[in-house]
Amino acid sequence: MKNSALKSYINGIKKSVPVFFGFLPVAITFAIMAANVGMTGLETAAMSVFVFAGASQIMAVQMLGSGAGMISIIIATFVLNLRHLIMSTCVFRRVKIKSFFLRLFGAMAVTDEGFAIITTEDEENCTVPFTLGTITLIYGSWVVGTLIGVLASDILPAIVADSFGVALYALFIALIVPDVKKNGRLLLVVAITAVMNSVLCLFFQSSWAVIISTLAGAAVGTFLVDDGDSAGEVAT
Amino acid sequence: MNIFVLILGMALVTYIPRVLPAFVVDKLKFGPRFTKFINLIPYTAMTALIVPGVFSADPARWYIGAIGGAVAILLACFKRIPSAVVVLGSVLAVMLVYIII
Repeated sequence: MKNSALKSYINGIKKSVPVFFGFLPVAITFAIMAANVGMTGLETAAMSVFVFAGASQIMAVQMLGSGAGMISIIIATFVLNLRHLIMSTCVFRRVKIKSFFLRLFGAMAVTDEGFAIITTEDEENCTVPFTLGTITLIYGSWVVGTLIGVLASDILPAIVADSFGVALYALFIALIVPDVKKNGRLLLVVAITAVMNSVLCLFFQSSWAVIISTLAGAAVGTFLVDDGDSAGEVAT
Repeated sequence: MNIFVLILGMALVTYIPRVLPAFVVDKLKFGPRFTKFINLIPYTAMTALIVPGVFSADPARWYIGAIGGAVAILLACFKRIPSAVVVLGSVLAVMLVYIII
């Protein structure tokens, strides 16, 4: 009994190893950007430890840099991470957890990557130890990567740190271009959102403009995209 | 702003959607329109964050962000190029421009 739980746990870790390589550069980028807007190493690490959501952390750091207020950042974080609600439903349907405390902990498996691993694994392998294994490696990679980035940001020459200013945009571009290339309707939604946001930024503070365009763009998109589009997995 | 209060706020709004379904897993059903909406959000959110922000990546020189963005788009078109390399390529291109200027 105990032996198979351990095997399951290790299987979870093994299946998550690719995520480690994907996460490391993102975590380092986040940490460097955080340093660029003046966050201390402790604050940076704390954000990764307690929020554990790459895209929203990077977005928050960028918003801080442009002077956004706390409420708008929190709302933007909520909106960007809303998709976890749906992913979590899928995850907990597959991984049956009875213990109250394990459910609290199991919620940490709900990231884009954790979701991808659990939903593509054979259902019979999706045990609690397996899930704990994925959490261990994915969460561990994120925190370790952040710490490495915090240390690196201290020793990076200014020219490198400055060039990281485009890293956020490059990352987001890297995440959306592949799917947008395949799907003309998605491209349309993206284009509409871009125009909408540019116009809104002329009248509103950019942080609120972003929230409005995000929601309005997605709303318009529901009328444009087909059912077949699984625009689900943005891997940060 | 107290960053730790911000982190706490972000943590709560992130954690609650993650943990809530664990307790109501059989009662949650999402209609197709809502699911589409939610799944589109990452794309529209990132788009809104890129445009027009990318042009202020360097507040003094709009073309820095434009170049970085263009390089990123180009690299991202190739399926075999992982996102880490896209970011690296974009950063290197910008560094090159800074060195040349």
